[in-house]
Amino acid sequence: MSETRIRSSIVGVVVLALFSALFARLWYLQVAATDQFQAAAVSNSVREIVEPPLRGRILDAQGRVLVDNQVENQITVSRTLTPKQLHQVIVRLSPLLGTPIAKLNANLSDPRNSPFTAFRVADGVDESALVYIAEHRSDFPGVRAEAAPVRRYVNGSVAFHELGYLGEINSTELKAQVDPNQYRLGDEIGKSGVELTYESDLRGRPGVTKIEVDSSGRVIRRTATKPAQPGHDVRLTLDLDVQKTAESALQQGIDSARTVQDIAYKKQGFRKLNAPAGAVVVLDVATGSVVALASNPTFDANQFVHGIPLATWNWLGAKENNLPLVDRAVSGAYAPGSTFKLVTAEAGLNAGLITPTKTVNDPGQYSYPTDPKHPFLGEGANGHVALARALTVSSDAYFYSIGGDLFFRYHHQQPFGDELQKVAREFGFGAQTGIALPTESVGRVPDAAWKQKIHAANPVAFPYPDWLPGDNIQSAVGQGDVLVTPIQMASAYATLANGGTRFQPRIADEVLDASGKKLRDIAPITMGTVVIQARDTILAGLRGVVTDPKGTAAAAFAGLPAGLAAGKTGTAQAAPKQNTSWFVGLTPADNPKYVVLAMVEEGGYGAQTAAPIARAVIEQLNQLPVGPVVNVSPPRGN
Amino acid sequence: MAVVVSERRERFLSSPIRHLDPLLFGSAALLAALGTLMIYASTRHRLELQHIDPLYFVKRQVIAIVVGVVVMVGLMLIDYRRLRELSLIGYGATVFMLLVVLKFGVSVKGAQARFDIGAFQVQPGEFAKIFLTLVLAAYCTIHREEMGARRLMIALAICALPMGLIMLQPDLGTDLVLMAMAFTILLMAGTKARHLVVLLLLAMTLAVVAIDAGVLDQYQIDRLTSFDNSGADTQGAGYNQDQAVTAVGTGGLTGQGLFGGSQTIGAHVPEQHTDFIFTVVGEELGFVGGAFVLGLFAVIVWRTSRAARLAQDPFGMLCCMGVLAMFVAQVFENVGMATGIMPVTGIPLPFMSYGGSSVIVSFACIGLVGNVRMRRFS
Repeated sequence: MSETRIRSSIVGVVVLALFSALFARLWYLQVAATDQFQAAAVSNSVREIVEPPLRGRILDAQGRVLVDNQVENQITVSRTLTPKQLHQVIVRLSPLLGTPIAKLNANLSDPRNSPFTAFRVADGVDESALVYIAEHRSDFPGVRAEAAPVRRYVNGSVAFHELGYLGEINSTELKAQVDPNQYRLGDEIGKSGVELTYESDLRGRPGVTKIEVDSSGRVIRRTATKPAQPGHDVRLTLDLDVQKTAESALQQGIDSARTVQDIAYKKQGFRKLNAPAGAVVVLDVATGSVVALASNPTFDANQFVHGIPLATWNWLGAKENNLPLVDRAVSGAYAPGSTFKLVTAEAGLNAGLITPTKTVNDPGQYSYPTDPKHPFLGEGANGHVALARALTVSSDAYFYSIGGDLFFRYHHQQPFGDELQKVAREFGFGAQTGIALPTESVGRVPDAAWKQKIHAANPVAFPYPDWLPGDNIQSAVGQGDVLVTPIQMASAYATLANGGTRFQPRIADEVLDASGKKLRDIAPITMGTVVIQARDTILAGLRGVVTDPKGTAAAAFAGLPAGLAAGKTGTAQAAPKQNTSWFVGLTPADNPKYVVLAMVEEGGYGAQTAAPIARAVIEQLNQLPVGPVVNVSPPRGN
Repeated sequence: MAVVVSERRERFLSSPIRHLDPLLFGSAALLAALGTLMIYASTRHRLELQHIDPLYFVKRQVIAIVVGVVVMVGLMLIDYRRLRELSLIGYGATVFMLLVVLKFGVSVKGAQARFDIGAFQVQPGEFAKIFLTLVLAAYCTIHREEMGARRLMIALAICALPMGLIMLQPDLGTDLVLMAMAFTILLMAGTKARHLVVLLLLAMTLAVVAIDAGVLDQYQIDRLTSFDNSGADTQGAGYNQDQAVTAVGTGGLTGQGLFGGSQTIGAHVPEQHTDFIFTVVGEELGFVGGAFVLGLFAVIVWRTSRAARLAQDPFGMLCCMGVLAMFVAQVFENVGMATGIMPVTGIPLPFMSYGGSSVIVSFACIGLVGNVRMRRFS
């Protein structure tokens, strides 16, 4: 009996041990470690469906829609299908859509398909096909037929550079996001223009629906649905009519320039102007608002919808096609030529070298006193000129002498030795204007420090470390190493026109919600003030440019009603390229409200190519009939 | 008169009906009821989705429980000592059925373990449990004080026949339960300690050889080994167990509430109403519910061991100990696999898992234990 008792005790101990093990395990799973399992259970059964928000629209200053969304019926096929299922689905879709199987297969393998979203096999599908697919779901596994919003650029290529375009978010952009729910792989994001800089307003917030599914993927219940919030509309300061005129005038001006002779070409024979590209900027001087911003060549952003074909992308990147994606108005930096004389005039006045009435003899050339053997040449002799006249006829000698005298001050460490550079910077040159557009250039205001720096960096290419008379004298007429962007130059003349307030060029003034209610103002931002001396004299000189018989742009503005326009031509040498053609117009002539800048690369004289373009825009701004833009050839003066 | 009264009183006291064990039956009944509720919780949703009566499994389970109770009562009406003689017939019938099932049975999930009789399925392997217990207990009773090597070999042969057939189905889980039962009976029947040690070593060696020599199918090895590296393979062999452990772990102290378990509603645990019924308890009723279920099984084990101790003869004692070992083995293996400490070897949780054969045999075992207990004075 005791033997039996021992043995039953053994059984009892074993049983006790086993039950204890179960209790202990149960306690561990359910009390000690339950949190981790609850998380696992949630990830097991909860799926998040993210619904992209409807992107906000972009409007012009009058509320006209420039960019919106249109609904497009499209058919997508899930990437999780096996090749066999995929083939079956395609075979069934083909007769339904009336598209050959080969074409659908080609769409499947289109490299523009994002690897993170379903295959897009067809766009613009009939409503009836959508209904058929919805009713025969089991025949079309993994197929989604849905109406999806796609971006639409209402006016095609108009304002392409300012509006920008969308593209699929890349990993860098994704990593830069603070809110991880805002974007996911495969989403579109602004890549350029307003689409990029106002992305946070336009985007909206994606909707999230949490659905609980069972092990076969059937929906058990929907929880915590957060509806998508549509993006906000952005109202630009841009005026569609002015923009269209600016673009067509620029195009006509370029086309016309390409038909005429490059008269600056003094070597053998005859060559035409290349005029590969150009820009137009229209600013409201009272606020710095951008009324029009054109860059040529341009492109239709609608081609970016659904991803741009690789061949087109390569075409856009090829130099011989003049890089249509580059916004010349803010990214292009050019020698400004005589348009820079505004800066030189102000520097001369500040330094007391000139007065509004003091005359300087212009014999057609200028020599720095210590180096009379190397004169700086002008376009011709203008005799004794004072400030206004010097601007009207664009006297080089007048401004050379200011540059030379300022150099003398610099060389002898007298006051105002760097006044030219100082005033240039006050007007905003040599720095980004801060316009809300990407890839803005800084341009360049060369000075002694800069020259030292480039010499130190490359003594062979730049053998002279010192700031020389020629550097300052060339800078005084916007040559040498001065580089400016069209937006900087337009901003400088706007500062002159409004009496000295330098605004950050503003491209949007309001953000509105989807119902049109204003959410916030985008107020003008003042970047600084410039003490403008002799404003009236300068404006008189600029009026003369277009009205005086000897004014450089008189021919281009012939017939325009008096008092509407003033301006300054610029013809900048850009060897080995042809001259850059500039014109900065002001309208009306007294108390100007707008600056109208035109610039054409390799467009020859400012008066011949840029001025007629600016005139057409000025006509538009004054509600005059806009005449055809014809190159003025041969031109006179620079 | 006094003698008459005392005789009457004695007869009354020794009357079998006087010695029923309410705790034993009560625990079994509670487990069966709770099991039915859990079957409902785990199946109603998917049945509704398929537009089938959500009570389909519940109704069939209730029928099985009723049959089980009838069988239990029937078994108790016969003196268990008479069962000793009948056991050989039952054993023979079981072996025959096991042979037939191999030839004509329905193959479900890789094992040929059952026949269809009308709308119901019969699993002879389940019946082997009770008949092998009886036969082994009977044999060991006869040779109780003389379990030498030769007798032991015969006893092992008696076990080997049905176990071998079950192995051919193959149904590893049932064999493991039978092994536990047989070992316990042999232990209690006075088998020499050194023989038992040799037996244990032999069983271990066989297991290693079986895995190495490829007697077991790969899926069986996967099942057996998947529990120790679960997480490595969440879609294959370890999937069942991962989902089961997740369900149990989600329950926490008091559970997600009846019909509130997301793992259960979402049908993420395969075979949840049968082998993994404990995961429903774990998820929806939490540690409290799980401990309650284990407690009920502990009561049954306790009452069974008590019946074994009180048994009037060695046969009764051995029967009870065999039943005890089976229950313990099944509960440990079943709950162990639902909580991830035992390999997945498809065996039902007594009284609770959906399945007629299992329920009926479980109640029959209770009947046997009750039978031994109630006749301890007669």
